[in-house]
Amino acid sequence: MNFRTARQTSTSQTSTRPASTPHRSAGRRAALRYTGLGTAAVLALALSACSAEDGSAGADSDAVSGDITLLTPIYEGAAGQRLLEDELLPQFYEQYPDVTVTVDYTNFARLNEKLTTGVVSGLVPDVMMMGVGWVEAFADKGVLANLSESGISVADLEKSTTPEIVQAGVWEGDVYGVPIMLDARFGVARMDLLREAGYDAPPSTWAELVEMAEALTVRSENGALERAGFDVLSLDARQMYETMLFSSGGSLFNDDNTAPAFNSAEGVEALESVVDLIHTSKVEDTGYSSTKETVNPLINGRAAMGIAHNNLWTQTLEAAPELLPELEPFLIPGDAPGMFVGGTLATMSKGSEHPAAAQALLEFLASPGPALAANEQRGNIPALTELLDSEYAQGNRLVQFSMENLDVAKREGGPSEWLGLRGEIAPAIESALLAQKTPKQALDDLADVFAGKMGG
Amino acid sequence: MVTPAVAHIGLWTALPVLATFALSLTDYNIFDAPRWIGIDNYIQIWNDPTFRLATWNTVVYTFWTVPVSMAIAMVIAVALNQNLWLRTWYRTAFFLPQVTATVAIAMVWLWIYNPQQGLLNAALSVIGIPGQAWLADPDWSLWAVILVGAWQGIGIKMLIYIAALQNVDNSLYEAASVDGASVVRKFFAITLPMLKPATFFVLVISIIGAFQVFDQIYVLTDGGPANATTMMTYEVYRSAFQNFQMGLASAQSVCLFAFLLVMTLISRRATRGDDE
Repeated sequence: MNFRTARQTSTSQTSTRPASTPHRSAGRRAALRYTGLGTAAVLALALSACSAEDGSAGADSDAVSGDITLLTPIYEGAAGQRLLEDELLPQFYEQYPDVTVTVDYTNFARLNEKLTTGVVSGLVPDVMMMGVGWVEAFADKGVLANLSESGISVADLEKSTTPEIVQAGVWEGDVYGVPIMLDARFGVARMDLLREAGYDAPPSTWAELVEMAEALTVRSENGALERAGFDVLSLDARQMYETMLFSSGGSLFNDDNTAPAFNSAEGVEALESVVDLIHTSKVEDTGYSSTKETVNPLINGRAAMGIAHNNLWTQTLEAAPELLPELEPFLIPGDAPGMFVGGTLATMSKGSEHPAAAQALLEFLASPGPALAANEQRGNIPALTELLDSEYAQGNRLVQFSMENLDVAKREGGPSEWLGLRGEIAPAIESALLAQKTPKQALDDLADVFAGKMGG
Repeated sequence: MVTPAVAHIGLWTALPVLATFALSLTDYNIFDAPRWIGIDNYIQIWNDPTFRLATWNTVVYTFWTVPVSMAIAMVIAVALNQNLWLRTWYRTAFFLPQVTATVAIAMVWLWIYNPQQGLLNAALSVIGIPGQAWLADPDWSLWAVILVGAWQGIGIKMLIYIAALQNVDNSLYEAASVDGASVVRKFFAITLPMLKPATFFVLVISIIGAFQVFDQIYVLTDGGPANATTMMTYEVYRSAFQNFQMGLASAQSVCLFAFLLVMTLISRRATRGDDE
């Protein structure tokens, strides 16, 4: 069955030390209670046990010392920095008073630059937060410490962590990254706008989605778009396409990650569907929205439905909490139910001069309390399964929806060349959305670029 | 006496330039040691449609931003060289974009160009002209970037022209006035020729600056949509810091250097004359 047929049915660096008793917001207290559970986590046990065995890291806190660096694209913004420096690191310092952590803040868009300059200059941060698809390249090139050598196995992680994200930290069977959070992309509908148009549920088939999107699109008398029926432009073009691709049953690469597979019939139809939404159904105009929008159009009513990130819930909570009951998530109806999932993993430098301190920090940040606080700040999905019962996760409809559908989620990445490939996807998708190329032509050209870079 | 200067130039200029040339002949992915591959990077650049597009975009950007901003700067400089009320205030106002961080300027222009809430579309709607998705439409995005570049470049050019104008002997204008020359005649017969050395200087630094445009692309468009605004420097950045291809990025930098050298020589020839 083909896709269409189925459907018809910033940066700053700060050195931190405990200066005063941390001030904890009421909202964080519940999260931080989990800190006490950290030592009980499988990950923590595995890490500390192995540390003690090789003597390199300490179950004995007194033996852990040194000045270490943390490179992080999470804990972003003033709120993130406050969380890390005023709440989390002081707890870490209580346990490890002889360790000093210098934090280098960045975001995922600029993380590559930081890592590149770090590797070239030989100053790789001791602990690095990475996204899904990043670990492979740095593990393959020997930049990251093999955590399996410290005794942490895939099986250990899968006992405590959502299995879908565990593999993102695994390279050639060994663990190089410990997941902290997941983030998903799926359809979201504004139910108040749907009800106004006579619909009482999100679309369950692609044909329904197109029909509803057309009905929900609002244009002024001169044809200017005032409300998009279905927004596909607020999300990064690569992630938007991958959400569609995975919902069509397609994949980025073949099974052994040696060749591109997105230009399959499923992949082409996925992109054709998006192009048709814009050029045939005219439910959104190119340029109507972009990743640079400060307010998601689903929040300010400039879109009735769209593909969104799970942190839309947190954004709405801050901007217009009265709309939270109106946000209804749904899987993009395609050949196969699918969802894009990314995430953040904690990794360690292989060349760290203070491996025990670095390991202690990694262990701390991945433990339940700090991980839950980081997820809450960022509006993401905790990777530790025990946190899914937390007040935060239970109270976040989009996190709940993501968790309920993780069995159909797919992640990006795979081959070690991924970081050199990912930047090529958005321009190719844009060329199709702008009708400069047909979807098939755009994807075939992109596949040629991928094949060339993958040595195919 | 010259040893410190030679050492400084050798260490901070000559050595990096030579290293760039050397790296351009290698496959260097930052993780492994550079591997000699001869001119393969240059062949890849030659066959890369994105870099060709980036080169073309850079040429178009330079072609429009440099002469346009030079002409506007010269007119403003001549005007502000007169005894105008609030002259110093005007000079400061025109120079301000030059000393403001491009990132901050680009953020303002992002708002101006916003298709829904932006100032430009709002202004156009007043006179009945439909708005555009300035930065999202490949037919408009490069022009939108060019406008920002031209606007931002006016300040420093104006300053250089004002400095040059103050060295023009006033007796020339007095003699021309006695002969009955009009303002326009005096501009073309006296001001323009006397500004020729300054014009050459402004032209060269403007071309170099335009070819090195990066930060406004980085903030405004990320090279998009569909690479419509990507530039040579942006491709160097992408190769080096996004794709880990330092050898390729070095080769692209060498191409940029060669382009700048040729453009500077052409400028030199075009403006050669009275100053020699």
